[in-house]
Amino acid sequence: MRPTLAVFAVAAVAQWFLPLAGVWQHERVVSRGVPMRIRCLAPDPYDPLRGRYLAVRPEEFRLPRPEGMSDSGRAPVWATLVAGEDGVARIESLSLEPVSGPTVIRLEATGLYRDEGGDTVFVAWPFDRFYLNERLAPDADKLVAERFREGQERPVAEIRVLDGRAVLTDVLVDGVSIRDVVRRRAAETPPPR
Amino acid sequence: MSLLHHRWLAEQLPAWEREGIVTADGARRLREQYAAEPRGGLAQVIVGAVGALLIGTGLIAVLAYNWDDFPRWVRLALALGPLAATQAVSWWVLRKGEAARPWQREAAALVQTLAVGAAMALVSQIYNLPGKWTDLVFWWCVVSVPLAWVLRSNAVAIAYLIGIAVWTVAQSQQANWSRAGDVADVRIWFPLLLAGILPRWPGAELRDRPAPGSRFVLAASTLAGLLAVAACAGVRAEQPNDAFFWLAMLSAAVLLLFPLDRHGATEPLASKPEVVLGGLALVIMALIATYEDPARALVKSVGFALPLAWCWLLLAVVVGFATVAFRQGRFAVLAVAGLAVVPLVAAPLSADDISGWPVAIAYTLVLFATAIVLITLEFLGRQGAARIGAALITILVILRMADADLSLLTKGIAFIVIGSGFLAFNAFVSRHRAATPGESPA
Repeated sequence: MRPTLAVFAVAAVAQWFLPLAGVWQHERVVSRGVPMRIRCLAPDPYDPLRGRYLAVRPEEFRLPRPEGMSDSGRAPVWATLVAGEDGVARIESLSLEPVSGPTVIRLEATGLYRDEGGDTVFVAWPFDRFYLNERLAPDADKLVAERFREGQERPVAEIRVLDGRAVLTDVLVDGVSIRDVVRRRAAETPPPR
Repeated sequence: MSLLHHRWLAEQLPAWEREGIVTADGARRLREQYAAEPRGGLAQVIVGAVGALLIGTGLIAVLAYNWDDFPRWVRLALALGPLAATQAVSWWVLRKGEAARPWQREAAALVQTLAVGAAMALVSQIYNLPGKWTDLVFWWCVVSVPLAWVLRSNAVAIAYLIGIAVWTVAQSQQANWSRAGDVADVRIWFPLLLAGILPRWPGAELRDRPAPGSRFVLAASTLAGLLAVAACAGVRAEQPNDAFFWLAMLSAAVLLLFPLDRHGATEPLASKPEVVLGGLALVIMALIATYEDPARALVKSVGFALPLAWCWLLLAVVVGFATVAFRQGRFAVLAVAGLAVVPLVAAPLSADDISGWPVAIAYTLVLFATAIVLITLEFLGRQGAARIGAALITILVILRMADADLSLLTKGIAFIVIGSGFLAFNAFVSRHRAATPGESPA
């Protein structure tokens, strides 16, 4: 085989490897993971390569400093989620050591906040965006903003959790997928004259 | 002589040989001396690249639409199908070897590159993967650059250069914003990524030279990347990062002094974008340093930069490149590169609380001296740049006149006199060049 063909073959395999690694890693979590729901905010930004999405920001982003956390406040942490009576999960405990369990997620502590009431750490969740069709995204953004203004219940992120990983599968409003809610509203709204 | 002249010469030589104007041996030596890069059907290449670009970007836009009505497996097939198809086409083109036309190579490489990006983007869209778009750009560049090597694609090489510059600038901004160590270290990554273009230019046989347009992108991408590295090289948590100014000057000097072969050194300035961009960046920074506050900041930046390994690496490269330039007699670029050394000389002489004026005045004088050197070199028959020297003096005088506490009438008259002098000098240089055959350009 000529060297150029060999280099091309290696590059072609690498070009498949990247997307397929993502598919394999996340398909496993989606198909076998434990479903959980997390309350969140979701405004509507834009990614130049991947299109429109709702920026999913879980409400629990600042948590009590776990024991042994350095002053930099930067480290991987393991959060154990527990579903409440309303079906929405909350973080029950945060550990610097890996914890096993069906509802454990690995988060990244990104900084420390010192307070008289006790130190807290900021955490980054392993999902931050929910991609939407560009037709639906502006209406979804409007819907979320309206609900926030009117003090209604915030949207809920539906995730799947497996082996410390989490994949965002949907964003729900009153238990219904935001895609369906926006589509229904669009169908009910008469077209402008 | 520019590449256009080389091509013109190559086109004329067969007729000259036939008419006995040059011997066969003379024509061969001329061809070797003034090698013309093969056109390879430039129009065809451009058409192929534009067609591929339209198809590929259309593909990305169609996929980015987010077909959420389709089940996941259909969307995955939509993402990966084009990748498989374009890889098959590229394989077919590669198998043709030298029989493949340049436009076929360009089109195949570019469409495949865009298909890779589309596949990666769609997979992360389907699974709502986090991460910035610049992370996607990084991996896209890494897995696509081999196509520029094996298919000898200029379009993919240019896209790669733009991609790595964008990624490096984004990392630098993130490092400055977060002032933390969890951002990729661009001091290591940018040189590595830039080295990724070497198998394309100059290639395994050290023969492939980028065309003028590609050369400009290569120089601009290198400058943007080096400036981005300079912007974050001194970032440390909770400490000021004031090393940028001098590191930026050294970076521009590295680009300006980049070694050229004998043929490259004698090309006109328009064919040397690294000299134009590096020199321009350096002169602009030096002009800024002719004001008090920037001058003080520049001298202070030396103190912040010297403890950094990146600074010493840049200094070592500048010294190495300057030595080569000196041996090649490229005194004009050496004179301009000397502007980067002024802060190093001024730093030990300046107390912490000293006014910036001594350095600002020193910079004005050094810039003036640089301009005189550029003019003198040309009139001594060496590589110089008389017009650039004159323009530099004119800009310096205008800046100082603008600062001066003079009446508007005085300033107006002075500007008229300077402008007239500049035009007269321009005409004089034109006459001098016309009267001096074989004048070496800068």
